[in-house]
Amino acid sequence: MSAKLLHKEKWSEFTGRLSGKNLWAPAVQGEVKKFVPVAEGETVSLEGGNTTVPPKALIFPQTETLYRFSRGEEEPEPPAIDEEMVLLGVRPCDARAMALVEKLFRWDFDDPYYLKRRELTTLIGLACNEPEINCFCPSVGGSPASTEGLDILMTDLGESYLLEVLTDKGKAIAGAVEDLLEEAPAEALKQKEKLAEEALAGIKWSVDPEGIPEALPQLWEDPLWERVSAPCLGCGICTYLCPTCYCFDIQDEVEGSAGRRCRSWDSCMFAEYTVHTSGHNPRPSRRERTRNRINHKYSYFVDKFGEIACVGCGRCSSLCPVNIDLIDILRQVKAAQ
Amino acid sequence: MKNYENPYIPHTATIEDTWYETAGDRCIKTFKVVLDDPAVRESWSHRPGQCAMIGLLGVGESMISISSSPTEKGYLRFSVLQAGKVTSALHQLEAGDKITVRGPYGNSFPVDDWKGKEILTVGGGIGQAPLRPIVEYVKANLSDYAGLTTIYGARTSEDLCFKGEFGEMEKIDGVCCHLSVDIEEEGWPHYVGFVPSLLMEVNPSPENTIAITCGPPIMIRFVLENLKKLNFADEQIYTTLENRMKCGIGKCGRCNAGSLYVCKDGPVFSYAALKDVPEAFA
Amino acid sequence: MDLDKLRKTAAEIVSRDDVKYLIGWRRGTFGYRVSPHFVRDAAGADELIFSPLCISNLANYLTLVEKLPVPRGQEPDTRKVALMVKGCDSRAVAQLLAEKGIKREEVVVVGLPCPGMIDRKLLAEKYPETEQAAEIRWRGEDFVLVDGEEETVIPRAEVLAEKCRLCRHPNPVLSDVTVGEPVEPWAAAEDSGVAEIMAKNAEERWAYWEEQFSKCIRCYSCKNACPLCYCEDCILDRLDPIWVNRSVNFSENTAFHLARAFHLAGRCIECGECERVCPAGIPLGKLNRMLAQTVREEYEFEPGLDPEAEPFQASYKPDDPEEFIL
Repeated sequence: MSAKLLHKEKWSEFTGRLSGKNLWAPAVQGEVKKFVPVAEGETVSLEGGNTTVPPKALIFPQTETLYRFSRGEEEPEPPAIDEEMVLLGVRPCDARAMALVEKLFRWDFDDPYYLKRRELTTLIGLACNEPEINCFCPSVGGSPASTEGLDILMTDLGESYLLEVLTDKGKAIAGAVEDLLEEAPAEALKQKEKLAEEALAGIKWSVDPEGIPEALPQLWEDPLWERVSAPCLGCGICTYLCPTCYCFDIQDEVEGSAGRRCRSWDSCMFAEYTVHTSGHNPRPSRRERTRNRINHKYSYFVDKFGEIACVGCGRCSSLCPVNIDLIDILRQVKAAQ
Repeated sequence: MKNYENPYIPHTATIEDTWYETAGDRCIKTFKVVLDDPAVRESWSHRPGQCAMIGLLGVGESMISISSSPTEKGYLRFSVLQAGKVTSALHQLEAGDKITVRGPYGNSFPVDDWKGKEILTVGGGIGQAPLRPIVEYVKANLSDYAGLTTIYGARTSEDLCFKGEFGEMEKIDGVCCHLSVDIEEEGWPHYVGFVPSLLMEVNPSPENTIAITCGPPIMIRFVLENLKKLNFADEQIYTTLENRMKCGIGKCGRCNAGSLYVCKDGPVFSYAALKDVPEAFA
Repeated sequence: MDLDKLRKTAAEIVSRDDVKYLIGWRRGTFGYRVSPHFVRDAAGADELIFSPLCISNLANYLTLVEKLPVPRGQEPDTRKVALMVKGCDSRAVAQLLAEKGIKREEVVVVGLPCPGMIDRKLLAEKYPETEQAAEIRWRGEDFVLVDGEEETVIPRAEVLAEKCRLCRHPNPVLSDVTVGEPVEPWAAAEDSGVAEIMAKNAEERWAYWEEQFSKCIRCYSCKNACPLCYCEDCILDRLDPIWVNRSVNFSENTAFHLARAFHLAGRCIECGECERVCPAGIPLGKLNRMLAQTVREEYEFEPGLDPEAEPFQASYKPDDPEEFIL
């Protein structure tokens, strides 16, 4: 690992150079902040909080073609996934989420679409110096300066960015802009440590997950599920915009004699997600569906992969139109124990 | 960059023969299919209880239990209940038509662990489809097992699957067959009543026996109750689960019962493993 | 707002044998958030609030609640649901009654005359949200943000929600109990948003909506928050045939939004929930108001005012305009 310094006067040249490498960075479009392609020479601003749409959307697109087929042709044709991509300004929580989701996409069967895209993507992270209201990453094993899943972690030091190069992919990026970087002095690393500590201290919410994975199955019939799900609209906001949610549907779309089989994000909060062909639904109401969402993240995933499938980004709480707040639910779980 | 194998791309197979098991709105049609690619056909190996995603490009896929036993070589059998979009499209097909197949998926009946035991299957309706491979497997390897008893019922005799196979079975030494229909009908020589009651009539001994049940949820519930009454231990009882599925390989998320994915951790579960899984019988 | 009176009234209602629960609002968990509050006993009534942040329409819960099969040996629960409604919300109830989506004896309507609500996003732009749940009250024409001893007056014009600027019915159109005095309706502003779109030619309009619908992530929050989107067998959930594919692109998104808009023509009561809950910032309120305005002007019909009225889409008059028939 090496540490470099990038002076901000060189920022536009830095991003300009990277823009030739299929660079994506956060931008505000209307009310929504999301990763958008950076055109050559375009400037990038990393001001403000995290994106509304997590960068998972680039590795695991909302809709993607699994393969195309046409009548008479024997072999279905999967699309080529071969384009490298650089994401700039990924928050540590979202990078951790990718590392978590990768466990699922590697479980027994490798998912070629996800894994290929993930392999072709370089993640340049940005440490959160100013956490947002609903951030709680330290409660679930993250931190505002976590490096997990990242290839480079940048920290805004005011006049300059500190770039900690973490992987070979990171090295390749740093190498391509070597002339813009200088060795980071020891003070820069100290300053980064201080900023990271301050950021950690600035996080408002916390919940100790100790005991939650074990408690959840015991609370199956607890009235808390009725209570927390009563206001739920049953929409897909909390799951679609969650960086660790990965459920999908597969549908065929046909036009004329050709078609495609594609997968699209799905949500366990939708009624038809589990409905059997017979009409029977093992999760007939929002109560069971909410219970599944929380159990999946805080118990089932732990059972399977040893980690909580939540990175504490706070999106579900911030974006829920009826203020269903994950921290509030977790506290109720703890209280009901 | 690594080149991953693509588990979503199915094999093509040709329907060699097809026939109706039952008639009516929700009829059951059996497809005997042969995988087209000789290399795939050669390397294909499944165990009793496993499933496969079968489908049609442009329509979709459905997880169907492989109703042939690995001892039946060279082809695969699927018995499909006409219910939704994919299964209705499959029902339109005849011999010579193509379908897609990927799999085999899921776990299987632990037939090796059961060697030396008496095998009891208790099925209802289409639930006999996942039981058929175990019946066929035990039949073909009867010397490894203490015996085979099959209890199978449906609403009417018209609704029974694999009707032609039971008569032959009865003739085999060490194999018992008990059939039932829910409603009295003319000329029916066997039991009239529900499968759980027939189970009590047959009154199997739990000693050195494994009971496997599959059928409509309500039947399974009462069969489990009755097996307990007959002093079967939880570890001696097996069932298969089904839930809505899309990928079949543990990714798409929807088929879980508690932390178990039916597509990968199932479909075969012992009652001991299932009884504390909250959504198992939801 | 006399909160004591509100809570006392609610406590009395939920104590009745024939009432299952009451739906109102409570303070949220942070910032300017407010959450729907399901009051199941008298004690729960203490958390009820009615403030300028109670913008959400709770009438959707009347139809959102799943009708689960009654377990064998149990009687179905036929108790009433009590619901707090502002003027706009009450129109949803009236429209549901007119469509026979609900029955009058199933609900207890608690009417709350409404002086106007705050658009949380406008508020947060000027007065950033914090982790504390804020308290906001009405004062005269304006709003006041209360933080202990400190009070900040927020001018009405700065943060009043768009639907409230356009409001023609601030007082509930029906109720069983009313808490608070009727408010004097204010002069509804001209719908500049709709006017702006109407001024565009067909091509420009298409371009505008193409840009908007392209943003949709198909989370269906608009559909689920809408009190009048309650079909048990929704065309959008149909799998065979599939009318709208799950894949997210302009074409499918447009099919979804236009199907919804047309199904709401003459039924939308302009509560603005679709637009409020949209995480993508699609101006769905504008879309539905365009149709509402056409229905109002061309057919002289306004839904959700009379629970006995014949539903617009089920009525025909020989002199109905038919310019749209080519």
